[in-house]
Formats: sequence, structure tokens, C-alpha cells
Amino acid sequence: MSLDALEASGKRAYRVACRSGCRDNDCSFAIMAAPEWKVARIERCALMMSERANSRIADRMTRFLALIWVAAMLAFAPQSALAQEGLTQSDLVAPPPAIVPPAAMEQVPDDAAADATSGDPVIEDAGGYVPMGPEMIKGQPTNGSITFQDQYSPNGDYALWMHDAILLPMVFGISLLVLGLLLFVIAKFNRRANKVPSRTTHNTLVEVLWTIIPVIILLAIAVPSITLLAKQFKTPPADALTIKATGYQWYWGYTYPDNGGFEIISNMMPEEEARAKGFPGQLEVDNRLVLPVGEPIRIQTTAADVIHSFAVPSLWFKHDAVPGRINEKTMIIKEPGIYYGQCSELCGARHGYMPIAIEALPRPQFEAWVRAQGGTVGNEAADTDGVLGAELPGLQQPESAVPDAAGAGAPPTRTTAPGTPVTE
Amino acid sequence: MATTADTFQGHTESHGGSHGAEHHDADHKPGFFARWFMSTNHKDIGTLYLIFAICAGIIGGAISGIMRAELHEPGIQVLGYWVNFMGGEASFDANLHMWNVLITAHGLIMVFFMVMPAMIGGFGNWFVPLMIGAPDMAFPRMNNISFWLTVAGFASLMFSMFVPGGIGNGAGTGWTVYAPLSTSGSTGPAVDFAIFSLHLAGAGSILGATNFITTIFNMRAPGMTLHKMPLFVWSVLVTAFLLLLALPVLAAAITMLLTDRNFQTTFFDPAGGGDPVLYQHLFWFFGHPEVYIMILPGFGMISQIVATFSRKPVFGYLGMAYAMVAIGVVGFVVWAHHMYTVGLDVNTKMYFTAATMVIAVPTGVKIFSWIATMWGGSMEFKSPMVWAMGFIFLFTVGGVTGVVLANGGIDDNLHDTYYVVAHFHYVLSMGAVFSLFAAFYYWFPKMSGRWHSELLAHIHFWGFFIGVNVIFFPQHFLGMNGMPRRIPDYAEAYSYWNEVSSFGYYIMFASMGVFFVNLIYAFTMGKKASANYWGEGATTLEWTLSSPPPYHQFETLPVIEEHHDYHNHLPAEEKA
Amino acid sequence: MAGAVNHEYHILPPDIWPLLGSISALTFTTGMVMFMHSDFFGGAWYAVLGLGIAGLIATFYSWFANIVNEAESGYHTPVVQLHMRYGMILFIASEVMFFVGWFWSWFDFSLFPSELTEVIGGQWPPKAIEAVMDPFDLPLLNTLILLCSGTTVTWAHHSLIHGDREGLKKGLWLTVILGAVFTAVQIYEYGHAPFDFGGNTYSSAFYMATGFHGFHVLVGTIFLIVCLARTYKGHFTPRQHFGFEAAAWYWHFVDVVWLFLFIVVYVWGGWGAEIH
Ligand code: HEA
Ligand code: HEA
Ligand code: CUA
Ligand SMILES: [Cu+2]
Repeated sequence: MSLDALEASGKRAYRVACRSGCRDNDCSFAIMAAPEWKVARIERCALMMSERANSRIADRMTRFLALIWVAAMLAFAPQSALAQEGLTQSDLVAPPPAIVPPAAMEQVPDDAAADATSGDPVIEDAGGYVPMGPEMIKGQPTNGSITFQDQYSPNGDYALWMHDAILLPMVFGISLLVLGLLLFVIAKFNRRANKVPSRTTHNTLVEVLWTIIPVIILLAIAVPSITLLAKQFKTPPADALTIKATGYQWYWGYTYPDNGGFEIISNMMPEEEARAKGFPGQLEVDNRLVLPVGEPIRIQTTAADVIHSFAVPSLWFKHDAVPGRINEKTMIIKEPGIYYGQCSELCGARHGYMPIAIEALPRPQFEAWVRAQGGTVGNEAADTDGVLGAELPGLQQPESAVPDAAGAGAPPTRTTAPGTPVTE
Repeated sequence: MATTADTFQGHTESHGGSHGAEHHDADHKPGFFARWFMSTNHKDIGTLYLIFAICAGIIGGAISGIMRAELHEPGIQVLGYWVNFMGGEASFDANLHMWNVLITAHGLIMVFFMVMPAMIGGFGNWFVPLMIGAPDMAFPRMNNISFWLTVAGFASLMFSMFVPGGIGNGAGTGWTVYAPLSTSGSTGPAVDFAIFSLHLAGAGSILGATNFITTIFNMRAPGMTLHKMPLFVWSVLVTAFLLLLALPVLAAAITMLLTDRNFQTTFFDPAGGGDPVLYQHLFWFFGHPEVYIMILPGFGMISQIVATFSRKPVFGYLGMAYAMVAIGVVGFVVWAHHMYTVGLDVNTKMYFTAATMVIAVPTGVKIFSWIATMWGGSMEFKSPMVWAMGFIFLFTVGGVTGVVLANGGIDDNLHDTYYVVAHFHYVLSMGAVFSLFAAFYYWFPKMSGRWHSELLAHIHFWGFFIGVNVIFFPQHFLGMNGMPRRIPDYAEAYSYWNEVSSFGYYIMFASMGVFFVNLIYAFTMGKKASANYWGEGATTLEWTLSSPPPYHQFETLPVIEEHHDYHNHLPAEEKA
Repeated sequence: MAGAVNHEYHILPPDIWPLLGSISALTFTTGMVMFMHSDFFGGAWYAVLGLGIAGLIATFYSWFANIVNEAESGYHTPVVQLHMRYGMILFIASEVMFFVGWFWSWFDFSLFPSELTEVIGGQWPPKAIEAVMDPFDLPLLNTLILLCSGTTVTWAHHSLIHGDREGLKKGLWLTVILGAVFTAVQIYEYGHAPFDFGGNTYSSAFYMATGFHGFHVLVGTIFLIVCLARTYKGHFTPRQHFGFEAAAWYWHFVDVVWLFLFIVVYVWGGWGAEIH
């Protein structure tokens, strides 16, 4: 949607001096509609994402060092690893390869895909959206688990692989090495076994070895680590769906700027109710964040009062929602399903009670859902006059519960946590 | 030197009427009040610090007990009781706020009022002058105000618990005091008291740091070059520099919090163009060096202890000393690894990932050098040694999970989960605290002149070792499984390992009972300790003095002979 | 002789001021909290804050009086003087790091002004700042004043080293007067600044950075006044006058901080804005 459309709809719109220097004012990245103080530092353009070193003072200082590091990595890393991961500086700047739904959808297990397309429990028709039931829960913690939640995003797969194949062996290897050495010296060099202590205080060879070997181990960690970062920072294609997640004390608001700008307010579902319906307590919400499956989504996080953090462990996703900033990161969900997360930055009393629940739907069902919310899809926005300005029925206005917080208004019209009276 | 010393004695004679003739008596002690409230004696001030740290450790440990009781099972259990106990009014939100107050108090108390006072104020004060052959600290009077400012800081933190801090009483910001939760998000005076608590304790620490640096640079006994200095002294020297350079930045940051809260500045308030992330940069520029402040003196103690009980000089002395310097220096340029999820750009994250991992190298040099010190040694497993060996293993575990977190892309999942809690308790509640207990058993007879029970000390060790591992190892699982930190109530799926963790607390708690019984035993029935009770492995200067040392030691400075291979622990004769 | 003191270090008798000073500091901070939350605490902050400040002043006075007496009694052997040099250098180093914090925020705000906050508008100085001070007006004057005072304090030092007590007095008097004039100009400037305190990043960082500098000027001036008084008492000798040197170091430090402030905050930081 264009800046003019936004302005025409009566919303405050800001023409942002995009730092990428492309000077295209109609570039969809450079425009944002929002209450003025909530939005600052829009950093969304593909060019800017790679040039984001401009954005912070620390970034600028460290950029140079980072380049040296990357160069060192290039110099030292085995060629094969590089060829495989294609890690070059230009890779970070170049437009990302289109991650198209078909490819991603291939990874969807058959039953889930079938589920989704047959529409059965998931969705009836455009008007009759039915939230997914507990059988569709994919990303959630498991009692007694000793490892990560199952991963449902490509980056999550890579990160989990890196943890399990590289970091975990490193952790166990080094810990057990140290433990083993300790047990060995206990057995071998105790006072009874060894009456006369040696006086050796230097051995150049071992000293060099225990310096060099850790360096090599760390380099071996650094290669996939840097690769992972590069993957995580791939910018989404220009037409990727944008979702704005705003943290409030203590609930989430999800805005769909590409779909008419409606906002979904997501409160925790009272634990009793959730359990009765077969959902995990403290993780389920009343209105889920509904997203399309299999395509890169541009998630923007910001906050209205204090810092919150938008985190979904099963998607390897965590980004802070900072007042006065918009943070942006790409999310890809491989399968339809429900994915739980929790606010992950201390944000006051009910920090523990602001869960995140994502419901991922195949594109057609997603679009149907959007329309059911009074939103628009694609170019419809241009024709559907008034959608932007219209109050959407049944949705709360985002306001902070903290009286003094900037942008505050009345407390939320509905409290979420169990045990509190409902203030309608 | 001789000539000036003569004139100096002249002054001493005429000094302070109350002392008069007895002034030369090395063991003359002032009366009770003067001795403990007006002290200018490094050993007495060290003792005060240790007593203070133990009290703070009991309070901080008790708070963690409340926390583990609350986390024993899902739901809100004990918080309401504590709200009422602290004079508030229990309600749903007040109970939740109480949680935040408890973790904040626990973190701040353990960091600023237990570990730091014990390591630097307590053992540093006691043994830096003894080990370098000095009669006292460079600024004995300033030494005392460092201590009392720490107490004042603690008092201010206590005040904060009883006044409103937003939804309930107390500061519920976390020990990191992030804005804007700590500014617009917490009305009421509690957070201001907490901030001033850091100002006061910080001022005390900065003065202490200048005192230690000056003492170590200027008061080493004749012949003791920097490269002959015991490693504990090296560790305190590096730590003091970290304190000196890091704390003022924190002071500036929390002053900005104060003015944002009370005087309409907008440093961290986006409405006026401010930036909450700026606070995090400033805080962690201090905060990361701070975590090394909490461990470096521990490294020093472990070096002394391992050498003593292996009856062998420290392996790779110079490497050990410069590894600490390297850790200190690199520690200043890795701070943003605490901020991987705030929205840093890709280059910044890559840089901080790389820089953070670099610290594993000098730390590894230390771990392996300790083991090499034991290698070929004639080891005796007295209580300090078992604590030291426990340290080496558990610190390694905490260190390698730190390396996991150092990867910016991996931290996207683990940040602000219990994995981080597990990591830092392995390096703190097991690293720092193990080194404290090791040092305590190592030097307790030296400080008090009386023996603790070695048997009880070993029982304490095993109970504590098992206890803290049961508490904190499962927290890795919770974190990987996604449990966020700083929540009093959790989804059912986290109940299993939380119950195990809380169970571990009881084991640890019982072992701490043994520790206090041991203290009572030592003071009532403990045998007298000789000057060098650990025998020939203990070669630093404090072992040349009686236990306890005279009130004023080294009135004639010891001379470290030119060919005395100090760091190799070779007495002059042997080398010759 | 057993127990005889055979070293040149300064072993001090017990002293009450560390305890009193800490209690005063706690009283002061508590008074500050009460002052900032008088809605909660009522009017009692008056007494508490007053008591705290009085206690701090008494502590500083007695503490430094003690040091001066000890110096005059000859306890400050060469090595003890060396301690003090180290102590002072380290203290100044920590002060430098304190100012690093304030400059850090200044650079953050000025290099990356928030784009969509109305009061900032993505520009520096921010939209809300209609005009800034003319750096080449009073601030330049103040720069010259401080630079001048740097030379006068050096003049005093040279006179002292060469045993010229009159020169010392003159140099010190001039330095103190210049310091006082600086403070007066600064107060005048604050009173006539085209922007208020707080409300946006520019005025927050501006007033806090220059304000803390001003506070340091005040402390430095008092330090120099003490030295002046001691000069009249005949305290310093060409060979032993560390009290004076410490004051001079401190003064130079304050001077250097000002130069940074002048360049970074006044000149560069206000570049391109309307000048008042
Ligand atoms: C004593 C305190 C202490 C110490 C020593 C350390 C040491 C380290 N820490 Fe830790 N850390 C904390 C205290 C400490 N930390 C605290 C309190 C927090 C949380 C703060 C908060 O948010 O509240 C934290 C958080 C924290 C984070 C942020 C996590 C997050 O919030 O998301 C990170 C990330 O990089 C990190 C990394 C490291 C690393 C790499 C080390 C390294 O120094 C470790 C080096 C040691 C070893 C690696 C082991 C020995 C080495 C070998 C045997 C050689 C071979 C090894 C290899 C080749 C790997 N720490
Ligand atoms: C040195 C630091 C230190 C130490 C020792 C501990 C010790 C313990 N800590 Fe904690 N902890 C922190 C620093 C520390 N902690 C910090 C910084 C946080 C983060 C706070 C925040 O989120 O803001 C935290 C948070 C934290 C949490 C997470 C809370 C949350 O996120 O919701 C939990 C939960 O279980 C916990 C538990 C415990 C337990 C059971 C112990 C037990 O091990 C306690 C047992 C008691 C002792 C080990 C003390 C014994 C010592 C003495 C009595 C003194 C001895 C002195 C001499 C010998 C001289 N701590
Ligand atoms: Cu929102 Cu924590
Ligand atoms: Cu760190």
C-alpha cells in the first residue's frame, strides 16, 4: 500500500528518510503507519538490512572487526565448508533467493498437508473459521524433556543440527576431558602413589597444544555459527507478508499492515478454560496469531510500554519488542499447526502470563481468515476504501495497563490471568 | 630507605596520644568499638567483610529457597505469604510482583553483597598485604569506608523492599534494572532506593579498587617483582582494574535511570527520542566485566590451593598471570553477547560471537595449567583441595555452556531461558562459591588461629556438590525446552525438572547446616593452628606468620632475595 | 628491636569518619529518595537530606583535615606520597570512565536521532530544540577561561617549585577566580538557554553532561581554595606539595573534559541548528 493511501485514510504516516539511499519513496519498506512514538528507526529495506551497521554506534565500531573476522574465517576455513554454505560478504548483501512456498511445502508431512488442504478440522469455509484444536499442536514443551522442542523452521533445523552435532559434543567432550584428567591425577598423583612431587613447571609443547587446540575447536564452531547468523539475517522478499507484533503489559497485539491493518489482541486464555479444551495451560491464548505456512514472513516487533520479547522456541525465534524501535526478522513455518511461546523479557508483574500462540495455516485458509477479520488480501487494499480508517468490530484498542507508560490509556478491557476479576 | 625510615620512626613516637608507649607493640589491639567500627587494620576490615558476606549469603540463599519453594510445582504457592510477611497486601498482581522483587534482591545480594565483598573485600584485604609482605593496605582509612559504604548500599537495598515499587512493595526490575521497566514501568521509591544501593556499593568498590592497585604496585616487599607475585595477588590486581574502569560506567547509567525517573530526562524514554537499548549497552559494558570480577579472584585462590596441596609450584606461572590479564582485557569488548535478541545487526552479532568465544582460550590455559600443576604432584585431599577440584570441573561445565550461548544464532533460542540461569549458576554458585569455600577452609585457621573439622568440611563439600548439581543441571533441560526466566509460575510441561531442581535445594540446604556447625565447632572446640599448618606445599608469605598473624605484621619488611625463585616456590637454599 | 616499625608506610590509628561518612552517604541518598517521592514520604526529606549533606561536608572536611595534619606531622614519606599519586591517577581514571558513559549517550543520540519521535524528527539537534547556544559566544569564552586557568595553575606550580610563594599565591588566586567566573558564566548560560531541561534527548544529555562537568569544576575550585588556604598557612614546600599537585591534576582533567564537551556537545552537537 502506498504512502498516499495511508495518508488519505487519515492515519499518521511518516515519510522516512531511508538510509539505504535508494530514495524510492514508494518503496513499501520505507513507509509505516503508526502512532508516532511507537515507531522509530524503521529498518526494513533489503539494502538496509545488510547495511544496518549504520543503525547503532556499537555496530559501526564493530563492523570493521567483523569484516576482519569474516576475512579470517574465509582464510582459515576449509574450502569445502565454504563451498557448502556459500558464506561470503556478498551473500549477506545480495537479494535473498526466493524461498517459495512449493519448496517449503514439500517438507510438510503428508498427513499435515492433507489435513490442511482437505480443510477438515482446520477450516470450513471463508466465513466459518474454526480455530485449530489441540490435535494440531506442534510446538510446545514436553514434560521431562532433556532437549529442545521439535523444530518447524529451516533455520531451526540448522540451529538444532549445529547444537546437536557440534556444540553438544563440544560441551560433553571438554567437560568429560577435564573430569577424566582430574580423576586421573587423583588416582595417579596422590600422596600415597607419588611421594616425591616433580618440579616441572613448564612444557612448551603442551602449553602450545592447549592453546592451539581450543582455537581450532572454536574456529570449527565459528564457521557454522556465522553461517547460521547469515541465514537468520536473510531478508525476506519484498512482497513477503509483514506482521507487526506489539508487546503490551501484558498481552500481545498483532497488526497485519499488508492486509488492511487490522489488529488482533491476544490474551492468555484462563488456564482452567484452556485445560478444559485440551490446550496447555498458561500457553494458550484467546486469539492466536494466524500466519500462512511455508513462506517467509516479516515479523516486526515493538512494544508500547516496557520491553517484551516475542519468542517461539519451536521456530527458533526470539526477538525483543522494544518501545521506540521496530525490530525485524524473518520467520518461516514449515507445517500447519499451533506453536506456543512466551514473552521472554521481564516486563513486570504478569510477565509469566503473556503467552504467544501461532496458528499456521496454508495460504488459502489464511487468506480466508484474513477476510473474515475484515482484512484484505493483495491489491484489494487499494479498492477497499475505508478499511484502514474503520474501527474493526470486536477488537480491543491497544492500550497499556501501566498508567504512566508512554502512550497509555485505559487498562486493557479484559484481564487475562486466572484469578483476576474481569473488568469489562 | 634507611634514612627515611629513621625520620619516620620519629613521627611514630609522637603520634596519637592514646597510643603512646604501646604503639610499638605489634599485637596491641584497640578497644571493641574502635577496633570494629573505626578500623584501619586490613585484617580486621577483611574479617568484617567476610562476616558481612556470610550474612548476605545467608539472606540471598534464603531468598533462593523461597524461590525454589515457589517453583516446586506449577501455580502460585508461597508468594502471597511473603507479600503479607513483608507488610504488603497479598493479591494476584502483588504476589507476582513479589516474585520479581525476590529474584531482583537475590541477584543483587549475591552479586554485590556476597561474592564481591567476600572475594575482594574479605580475602583480598586479608591476604593481599600478607602475600606481598606489606604491613597494611596503602590507604587504611579509605579501606574502612569501602566497607561501610558496602553496608550502606545493602541497607538501601533493604529499605527498597518495604516501600512501593509499582504494583507492590520492592524493586521488581531484575538485577539488570532494564529501562523502561525500571523507569516508567516502576513508580514509587523502591527502585530509587535500589539504584542508590548500587551507587553506594559501587563507590565503595571503586575506592577499594584504587586501594588494591596502589597497594600492589607500591607496597610489595623488597625483591618481590610483579613476576614473583603470588597468583592470588595478580588476580586481585586485574580485578581491581576491571572494577575501576567498569563501575563508573554503571554509575553513569543508573544516574540516567534516576533522572529519567524523577527529573524528566529522556535517556531511555522513546517519547523523547531516548533508547532503552542504550541502557543495555551501558549496563553490559559494566556487566560483563563484572562477571569476571566475580570469578578472577577465585581463579587466584584456586591457583594457591592447587599448588599447596600438590606440593608443587604452579605450572606455567606467567601464562597463568597473563591469561587473567587477557581475560580482563577481552572482557571489555564482548558485552553485547547479553543483547543478541535486542535487534543487533548481523555484523555486530558476528563480531560479538567471535570475540566472546576468544575468552575460552585463556580460560582453557588456566584450567589445563591447574591440572598440569597436579600432574606429577604429591596430592593431599584436604578440604580446600576438594573444593578446588570441584571448582575446576564445575566451572568448566559452566564455561562450555557459556560458549554455547556465545553463538548469537543459538542464543536466539536460549536467551532469557533457564539455560542461561543454569550457565551462570554453574560459574557463580559453583565457580565463585566453590572458590570461596575452598579459600575459606584454606585460610580459616590462619585467620582465626583455630582448626575447623576436616571431616565436617568434607561432608559439607559432598552435600553441597550434589545439591547444587541437582538444582542447576536440570535447569539446562528446562531452558532448552523453552522455559523463560523470571517467571513464578510455569506450564505443566516444566514441572518434572523443576521439582527435581527444588529437591536439590534441600540437599544443598542441609550441607550449609554442616558448614555452620563446623564454624561453631571451630570457635568453641577447634584446636590451635600452627603457622604453616598445610606444610611444605604452602610457600607464600602468609605462612611465615603465626596463626592468627600479629595485629601489625611485617613491621620489618621481609626481603625476597634476588635468586629466590618465588613463583616456583623454591626457597633460596634449595635453588643454590 | 622487636615490634619496632622499620618501614616507611603510614599505619593509621582507628578513625570514626569512615563510619560517619558512610552513614551520611546513606542519609543523603535516602534524603534524595524522600525528596523525589515527597508525595509518599511527606516533607521530612528536608531534614534527612540536610542532615546527609551536612554529614558529608563534615566528613570531607575532617577527613582532609586529618590528611593535612598527617602530612604536616611528617607521616607522608616519599612512598606514602607515591601512594597518593597512584590513588589520584586511578581516581581520575575512574572519573574518565564516568564521563565515557555520558558521552556514549550523547553520541548515540546525535549520530542516530530517532526518526519517528515527534520531538526528534530524525534530525540533530532535534526538532524540539528550536535553537541552540552559540558555541562561539559564551561557551568559547568559557573554553578560554578554562584554558587560561590551566596556565595559571601551572604558573602557580612553577612558582611553588622555585620557592616563590608570592607567585604561588597569585597563580592560585587567579585560577580560583577563573574557576569561579567559569561557574558563574555557566549558571548564566543555563538561565538563558533557549531550551529547557529534559523532555528530549538533546537537552537531557546536554544538561547532564555539562552539569556533571560543572559539578566537577565546583569541586576542583574548592580543592584549589583549600590549596590557597594551605599556602597562606605555609604548608607547601618545593619538595613536598602533593596536595597542590593533586588539585592541579584534577583541574587539568576537568579542563580536558570541557574541551571534549565544547567540541562534541557545543560545536559539533549543535551544528546546523538555529543559534540563539
Ligand atoms: C562468574 C561469572 C561468569 C563467568 C566466568 C562467565 C563466563 C562466560 N560466559 Fe556468562 N554469564 C554470567 C556469568 C558468567 N559468565 C551471568 C551472571 C550471566 C547472565 C546475566 C543475566 O542475564 O542476568 C551470563 C550470561 C552469559 C551470556 C548471555 C546469555 C543470554 O542472556 O542469552 C553469554 C553469551 O555469550 C555468556 C557467555 C559466557 C562465556 C563464553 C564465558 C567464558 O568466559 C567461559 C570460558 C570458560 C570455558 C570455555 C571453560 C574452560 C575452558 C576450557 C576447558 C578450554 C577448552 C574450551 C573450549 C575450546 C570451548 N554468559
Ligand atoms: C553469586 C551469585 C549467585 C549465587 C551464589 C546464587 C545461588 C543460588 N541461586 Fe541464583 N541468581 C543469581 C546469582 C546467584 N545465585 C542471579 C544474578 C540471578 C538473576 C536474577 C535476575 O534474574 O535478575 C539468579 C537467579 C536465580 C534463579 C532464577 C530466577 C528466575 O529467573 O525466575 C533461581 C531459580 O532457581 C536461582 C536459584 C539459586 C539457588 C537455589 C542458589 C543456591 O545455590 C543458593 C545457595 C546458597 C549459597 C551458595 C550461598 C552460600 C554462601 C555463603 C553463605 C557465603 C559464604 C561466604 C564465605 C565462605 C566467605 N537464582
Ligand atoms: Cu512481556 Cu515479559
Ligand atoms: Cu557476559
